[in-house]
Amino acid sequence: MLQIKNLHAAIDGKEILKGINLSIPTGEVHAIMGPNGSGKSTLSYVLAGRDGYEITQGEILLNGENIMEMAPEERAAAGVFLAFQYPVEIPGVQMTTFLKTALNAVRKQRGQKELDALDFLKLMKKKQKELSISDEMLKRAVNVGFSGGEKKRNEVLQMAMLEPTLAVLDETDSGLDIDALKIVADGVNALRDPKRSFLVITHYQRLLDYIVPDKVHVLANGKIIKTGDAELAKELEKTGYAGLTGEAA
Amino acid sequence: MSAEHKIMQFPVKSPYHPETAENVLRGFAAFQAEQADSAELTDLRIEGLNYVTQHGLPTPKLEGWKYTNIIPAVRGFDRLGTVRVSSNTVPGVIAQPLVKSIVEQDWVKKLICDSQTSTDLNINPILWHLANMYFRDGVSIDVPANTEVKEPLEIVMECDDGAFYVVHTAIRVGANASLTIIEDHRGKGKFWKNRLSHITVAPGGHLTHIRIQDDSKDAVYTQNTKVTVAKDGHYNAVALYTGAAISRNQIHVLLTEPGALCHLNGASLMRGKQHSDTTILVEHLAPHCESNQNMRTILDDQSHGVFQGKVHVHQIAQKTDGYQLSKAILLSEGAEMDTKPELEIYADDVKCSHGATTGRLEDEPMFYMRSRGIPEAEARALLIESFVAEIFDEVKGEEIREQLLERVRGWLEK
Repeated sequence: MLQIKNLHAAIDGKEILKGINLSIPTGEVHAIMGPNGSGKSTLSYVLAGRDGYEITQGEILLNGENIMEMAPEERAAAGVFLAFQYPVEIPGVQMTTFLKTALNAVRKQRGQKELDALDFLKLMKKKQKELSISDEMLKRAVNVGFSGGEKKRNEVLQMAMLEPTLAVLDETDSGLDIDALKIVADGVNALRDPKRSFLVITHYQRLLDYIVPDKVHVLANGKIIKTGDAELAKELEKTGYAGLTGEAA
Repeated sequence: MSAEHKIMQFPVKSPYHPETAENVLRGFAAFQAEQADSAELTDLRIEGLNYVTQHGLPTPKLEGWKYTNIIPAVRGFDRLGTVRVSSNTVPGVIAQPLVKSIVEQDWVKKLICDSQTSTDLNINPILWHLANMYFRDGVSIDVPANTEVKEPLEIVMECDDGAFYVVHTAIRVGANASLTIIEDHRGKGKFWKNRLSHITVAPGGHLTHIRIQDDSKDAVYTQNTKVTVAKDGHYNAVALYTGAAISRNQIHVLLTEPGALCHLNGASLMRGKQHSDTTILVEHLAPHCESNQNMRTILDDQSHGVFQGKVHVHQIAQKTDGYQLSKAILLSEGAEMDTKPELEIYADDVKCSHGATTGRLEDEPMFYMRSRGIPEAEARALLIESFVAEIFDEVKGEEIREQLLERVRGWLEK
């Protein structure tokens, strides 16, 4: 599914990722944990294709295909989905319009038939119900006036609609209370599928109690310094990152 | 220093250039010879002639015209055309050619002949006088008191290639009456259209004034609008400018009695070397009035946008609500936006604010949309549409709103 080989990436000439090697087999959930500034968010942006990041070495393969030259929208069509740490507000663009435009754009690029208004609504109703998203929320502009929890549920809704093969969750737990966290985690777990892989990026172990990973990687200073199973996350919760990085994190 | 000893140094160069009006002045004698109406109208024309003779056409040397130079574009015109004004028939609305109504109806004559221009620096009177000098073509629109007109009145003003045009409009909305006007400008070819509109809204009257200006990319469009709003009257304007090589929209609103309100919403979408200037003066002349100016500008290529907006709160106008916001997005390195927001406040108990932003299309929403599979061009169009659509919020009819959005989409697809 996803293979990252010796990935080096820089922003404004400053190297942030310093040789990442990571491979996520189809259907597995991997977590990346690490202290602030270790490069977690950079990795998620580089995967989604955000402008401004320069890949100086290495490659990213999705199902064997190099995606590094692809535009963000092409990556989305190829199956990459990034759930943002800070979902972006877009005043004036209604949620429903946004979802429909995105879904049909992706379907078109994937060679599928675009959905008409009725089929789209049916699909959206089904998915929104699973995530306790109200009709009223979908009448609002994208993320405008949404609470922290609503924003994250909205990210999961988009994920459910676009059916990616690789979902990257960037600090999905940040800013959530325990109830909101459970709803979001349930939503993500419902999307776990033998054909779908997840990369869950988080600072805290808490999220991984709800979304249990197959593997946990520790990212520090732009490199993966340790890999283990779900137990590694619990261990980190006790010892902190300092024990691993050998310095105060 | 005492006043007697003060010596005033004249500027080395005069801001007025009478020679710039040579073309338009040349045609006056022949034009006037053909008019066989009243002495009052002759006086009006002569007053206009004298003003233009002395001052010439407005050049960037004048404070209010610093950012807009129409001279190169209007220099060549030496023919005066006849504007064909047409409108649909709407029950409750009396629409007539001005040549007829100015003779028969006193209010029309008063509005045209007795209106005073502003002495404000931005709202320069030259083009007003130029319009009066060639007074002939135009339409009067009257809605009697207590008439609620449901169907919008649609006005088309047609011009042809190669001439200079002057067109007047006199609009009166009676007490507690309401009306929606949609002006659609779609002239072809190269021409200069100079407009003067007088609008008066009686107590409790409501006028929604939609202006779609999509004249040819070779045209020059200059507009002077003066609006007077009485007690509890509402004037809501929504303008969409996509046309003309160069346009100047000069709007002067007077809120004369308590409870009067005006909302001036405008969007300007420019590309190529187009130039669009919106210059507004709102005068609060009574307490408890509200004004809101809301401008959106999109500039691509080497296009140029100008917004000069002023709220003038007179001393008597306590409890004024006055707002002004101009937001511009530059889509290209070569585009230029000039904004001059001003508040002039002489009352001490008012709520006024102004803001102006000019920037690029933001990266974050673009990336967010693209990461959801929306191609770059589509994401851009959606963001621009939503940016502009904010000013259509006040349009009540869903159909009209959709019509405006269609125009925006049409522009985006080009």
